[in-house]
Amino acid sequence: MTPVLHGISILTDSPTVVSARAGALEFLLANHALDCPVCDKAGECELQDMVHKYGPHKGRHTEKKFKFHEKDYALSPVIIKNSNRCVQCIKCARVCREVVGVNVLAAIGRGDHQEETSFFKTQLDCDHCGNCIEVCPVGCFMRLPYRYKARPWDLKGADTVCAYCATGCRMVMEHRDGTVLRARAQYGVGVNSETLCARGRFGFDYINSPERLTTPHVNRYGKLEAATWVEAFDYIKESLMGVSGDEFGGIVSPRYTNEEAYLFQKLVRDVFKSANVDSTSRWEASGVEAFAAAAGMNEGGVSVFDCMEADTVVVIGAQISDENPVTDYIIRRISAARKMNVIIVSPRAMKLDSSANLLLRVAPGAEGAVLNAVALSLVPDKTGGYAQTADIAKDMIDALVAKLKASASVAIIAGTEFLRHPESCAGLGFLKDSLKSSGKKVLILPALDRCNQRGVWEMGAHPGFGPGYAGVEKRGKGTHEMLEAAMDGGITSMYAAGVDIVSMFPDAQFAQKALMRLKFLIVQDTFMTETAKMAHVVLPGATFAEKEGFYTNQEGRAQIIRSLLPPPGKAKRDFDVIKAVGEIFDTGFGPKNPALALDEMRKTNPMYRDASLAFNNKRNVDNKLDIKAALVKAADAAPPSVKCAPAAIAPKDDKYQFALMTGNHLFHSGMLSKRSVSLTGLLNSAVVEICPEDAVFYGLKPGAKVIVKGAHYEAVMTLTVRPGSKRGVAFIAENYQDCPVNRFFKKGAGTPQVAIRPCS
Amino acid sequence: MDKVLLKKLGDPEAHKIDNYVKAGGYKALGMALKMPPDNIIQAVKDSGLRGRGGAGFSTGLKWSFIPKDPTIKKFLCCNADEGEPGTFKDRGIIDWDPHLLIEGMIIASYAIGAAKSYIYIRGEFALGAARLDAAIKEAYAKGYLGPNVMGTGFNHDMFVHRGFGAYICGEETALLESIEGFRAQPRKKPPFPALAGLYSKPTVINNVETLSCIPAIIERGAKWFSSIGPEKSPGPKIFCVSGHVKKPGLYELPMGTTLREIIFNHAGGMLTEKPLKAVIPGGVSAPMLTEKDLDTSMDFDSLAAKGTMLGSGAVVVMDSSACMVKTAYIINRFFSHESCGKCTPCRDGTPWLTNILMRLEHGEGKQGDVELLEGLCANIFGRTFCPLGDGAVMALRGALKNFRNEFEYHAKTGRCLG
Repeated sequence: MTPVLHGISILTDSPTVVSARAGALEFLLANHALDCPVCDKAGECELQDMVHKYGPHKGRHTEKKFKFHEKDYALSPVIIKNSNRCVQCIKCARVCREVVGVNVLAAIGRGDHQEETSFFKTQLDCDHCGNCIEVCPVGCFMRLPYRYKARPWDLKGADTVCAYCATGCRMVMEHRDGTVLRARAQYGVGVNSETLCARGRFGFDYINSPERLTTPHVNRYGKLEAATWVEAFDYIKESLMGVSGDEFGGIVSPRYTNEEAYLFQKLVRDVFKSANVDSTSRWEASGVEAFAAAAGMNEGGVSVFDCMEADTVVVIGAQISDENPVTDYIIRRISAARKMNVIIVSPRAMKLDSSANLLLRVAPGAEGAVLNAVALSLVPDKTGGYAQTADIAKDMIDALVAKLKASASVAIIAGTEFLRHPESCAGLGFLKDSLKSSGKKVLILPALDRCNQRGVWEMGAHPGFGPGYAGVEKRGKGTHEMLEAAMDGGITSMYAAGVDIVSMFPDAQFAQKALMRLKFLIVQDTFMTETAKMAHVVLPGATFAEKEGFYTNQEGRAQIIRSLLPPPGKAKRDFDVIKAVGEIFDTGFGPKNPALALDEMRKTNPMYRDASLAFNNKRNVDNKLDIKAALVKAADAAPPSVKCAPAAIAPKDDKYQFALMTGNHLFHSGMLSKRSVSLTGLLNSAVVEICPEDAVFYGLKPGAKVIVKGAHYEAVMTLTVRPGSKRGVAFIAENYQDCPVNRFFKKGAGTPQVAIRPCS
Repeated sequence: MDKVLLKKLGDPEAHKIDNYVKAGGYKALGMALKMPPDNIIQAVKDSGLRGRGGAGFSTGLKWSFIPKDPTIKKFLCCNADEGEPGTFKDRGIIDWDPHLLIEGMIIASYAIGAAKSYIYIRGEFALGAARLDAAIKEAYAKGYLGPNVMGTGFNHDMFVHRGFGAYICGEETALLESIEGFRAQPRKKPPFPALAGLYSKPTVINNVETLSCIPAIIERGAKWFSSIGPEKSPGPKIFCVSGHVKKPGLYELPMGTTLREIIFNHAGGMLTEKPLKAVIPGGVSAPMLTEKDLDTSMDFDSLAAKGTMLGSGAVVVMDSSACMVKTAYIINRFFSHESCGKCTPCRDGTPWLTNILMRLEHGEGKQGDVELLEGLCANIFGRTFCPLGDGAVMALRGALKNFRNEFEYHAKTGRCLG
C-alpha cells in the first residue's frame, strides 16, 4: 500500500494500471452471476459501468461458477439478497456497524465462499433501514417492495426532502407511470449523504394508496358524501359567512410546507380576524413558546455538524435513535472518529447508548430537574443545591458536571420530551445561561419529529407569536384552549389542515366531544382520518411528493421539496386549497402562488431574509455535507417568555406499576406511516415496551399478548423488552390504530400510570 | 556444530522446567536482565540474525523500530501459526523445548519494553499449546514470568492464543486481527506493526525459531552466532525435509548448507532408485528447483539469486514419479482454500487457477490453458494485499518455468508425461 504524499504523481492510465484494473474486473466477473437481464440493479450497477468502461469485454472464464444459493432469500420484509452477485466489498457490513450501529451483517466463510449476510442467514431483527441496499454497488442487496417493478431507466425522479422526522434528509423519489416506486439517497447530498432510515426509504408508499382522498366530501344530513369543489366551497361560504374573530380557530399540520403554513396563518389572522392559530394537536402552545425560547430558536439555525464539533454533546429528552434515526447515524459516525463526550439523558435505552460515554436513566419528565441540578453545580456559589432531585444519583450528576466543566464547547440536542413536559424547558434555559456565563460555547439543536415543525412555527402558525417569532397584538388560543372553548361554545368553527386531532390530542375522548360541539369543521387531509369523519367539509389535499415548496428542518435548514406527480383525482395542492378558501371571503387574498409567498416571507420575516432555494441539491465544492447558506438567520423578536407550571402529578396508585411514555416508533411517525404497506409490514399492531428486569419481576413474557390498563382505557397488545431502559417505565408509541395511546391520557391529569398483566 | 534449537528433540522429559534449568536454561535471561535493553538490541543486530518466518528481515533492526518512549505500551507476538505445507520446524521447538521459546520471548520483551506477549499458535497444535500452557505456568511459579521477573523489577505476562485453522493468520497483521478478536484479514501497511500493531500499539512479531535463537546469542555472544554460516545470513537453521528421501525429518544445520548435502548426507538420499526431479527449497510458495541447482547454498540471498526463496526452510523432495501438474494443482488448491477473501485477485483468481489445474490434471485440459494460467498469474502477482496470492503464483510459475512441457502434454493428451 502506498500512502499519498505531497508532490506524489499518480498515474491512472499507465499500461500497468489499465491491465490491473481490467484484471481485477475479470476476476470479479469470474464468479459473478451475470444475470443482468433480470437484475434490479442493471442500468445503475457500478460493476456494469466499470466493466463497460474499463473492460475486459471478452470473457476467458469457462469454468463452472460457484453458487451460494439457487434462489434469492429475504433478510427482512424489505430486504432481499442474492449473494451470487456479490463483489465482496463489505460496504454493507461496514455501514451496518459503523453508521447505523445495529451490527447485524458480517462476512461468514472465507475466500470465494465468503458471504456477507446475517448470522445463520435468518430474517433480521434490525432497523430495516436498507442502507445496505443503498451502499451495495451491485444487485446483491435489493429492496423487496421495488423488486421487478421497474428498470432504472423507466423511473422519473425528483430531488426532495423526506417528510417524516425533522432531520431533513434529502432524497430522490422516483415514479413509474404515476406510481411512486422508490426513494433513494444520494452520496454527498444533504445532511444524510447516502443514508436514510426505514421510514424514509420504504415509508413513502402511502402516496400510492387507494384510500387517498380524491374528491371533496360534504356532510349532507349527517353523512359525508362526495361532492365537487364548487359544492364544498359554497358550503363553506354559507356556513362561515359572518363568522369571525375568536369564534374561529385554525390548526395547520407540521407536515405542510412553509408557504402553506404562512398562507394558513394569514387566512386565520387576516381573513377571519382570529388569533387562534396553532400547528399541533399534541402539545400545549405555552410549552412551544418555552421550548423555542429555551432552545434559542429565534437566534437562527444550528447545524448538526457544528454541534458535532463540540467537546461534549448532550442528548436529552430525545429518543433520537427512534425518532431521528439519521441524526443518530451522524452522531455515531462522527463521535467514533473524534475524541468527544456523548452524554445521553433519557428514560429509555436507545441504540446510540453504545456511542455514549455517560448514560443517565431518569424518570419520564425529569429532564428539567437534571438540567437544573447540573446548572446549579456549574454556578460556583450554589453548589449542592439539588437535593430535591431524589430520583437521580448524585454521582451521575457529578460525572455529567465534571464532563461539562472540562469542555470548552457544549452542544445540547433537546428533543420532544421538553414539549410533552414543558416545565423542563426552564432547566434547559438555565443550563444554557450557566454554561454561557462560565465562558463556554453552547449550541442547542432541537430534535423534532415532524418534518416542518420548526418551519410552521417560524411562519407564525402559533397563537403566541407571528412570523419570525414577532409578537402578536392579542394572544390567541392554542389547540388545548380551542378545544376547551369549543366545549363551552366559545369557538364555533374550526379549520384543521392536515392534522388528525382525534388521534393525536392527549385525551381522545375530550377532543372528540369538543369537536362534536362545533357548528362547522373543515378538515383538509390526504386520508379520511378520524377527525375527517367528524367534519362538515373534507377537502382532499396533497402529499409532499405532489407539491412545491420548502421545509425547514430541525436545524433551521431551509430545503426545497419538488413535485413528482399531480395530486390524485380532484385533490389539489394544499396551497391552492387554502388560497381558494381565503378567496371566498376576500378575493384579494394572497400571495397567489408559492413563489410569491416566498418573496413575501423574505421581505417580512428576517429569519428568511436570505432564504434561497438555489443551493439545494448541489454538492458543496469542499465536499462537505453542511450547507451553511441554507440555515435560517436570527429573528428580530424572541418568543414570549412563559413559565410553564409543572404538570399535575397523578397521585401514586399501587394498582398501576408503570409510568406511561409515548412518542414515535422507529417504523412509524404520526398516523401517515400507518398507511404505508411497507412500514405496516415491519410493524402492524401495537406493542408496549418495558425493561427486561420489569418483565421478569412481574412475570411477563416478551412477545406475549398483555393487557395494558390505565385509569381511562385498556388495550391488548404485544409486550417487547428493551434492555437498559429505566425500570417502571412503559412505552407505547402514538401511532397505533389498534391502540390510540391518547385514550390513556386525561387532560390535565399529567403522565398516566398503567398496569400491565398477562392476557389470560 | 553443536545444536542450539533442537538439542532436546526426542527427549521426553526436556519440556519440564527443572530439566531445562539444569541444562543451563534461563541463564541467558538472567544475563539479559542485567544488560541495558539497547545493548540487547545491538547484540541481536550484531549477530546478523534474520527472521526465520520466511521474509528474512534483520531481527535486531525490527526491534530497533519500536519507539523508546516508556509511556507507550508495547507488545511482543510470537508467530507459531506454522501452516505452510511441508513446514514443521516450530513444532520441534514448541513440543520438545517450550522453555527455550519462552526464555527468548522474555528477553525480547525486555529488550523492546513489552509488558505483555502473546504466542499465537495454530489450533491443530494441541500438544504444543498444552506444553506451552504448562511451561508458562511453571515459569510463573519460578518467577521467570509475572511481576518482578527474577527480582529485577521487570514485569511480564505471557499468553497462549490458539488459532482456529486459518493459514492467513500466519500473515502478521491478520494474526494481530485474530488476537484482537476480529476476522483474520491482513491490515493495510503502513502503519507497520512496529508503530501500530496489536491494539494499535507498537508490536514486534517474530517467528518461533527466531525467538529461540535469542538465548544463545545472549549467552555465547553475537560474534559466535555470526561465525556460523554465511556472513549475510548467519546462524543455525532448521530444515524440514520431506518427500522422496530415506530419512525425512528435522535437521538443524548451519545456514548455507547446500541442498545436495541436506538431501544426500543428512536425509539419507533418495527414497528409491528414481532420480530427483524437483525440490521445493522453502515451503510450497517457494518456486521449485531442479537437479542442476542442488549445489545452491541454502541461505536467503543465494536462493533469492536463483529466483526462489528460503522461506520457512521446508525442503520438499520429489523424484521422477511426481507429476508436476498434480503437484501444482495440490499446492494451488491449498492457496485458494486458504485465501481470506479480502482482495479480488487472490479471492477470485486462485480458485480460477485451481479449476484450470484440476481440469488439466483430470485430463480435461484444453488448448490454451497453459497460456491462460500464465495470463492469470500476471493478473494476480503483485496486485494482492498480502503475500498469499503472490505465494500461489510463485509456486505455479516455478512449476511452469521448469516443467512447461508436462503442462502442455496434459493439455494436449490428457495424460502425464512419461
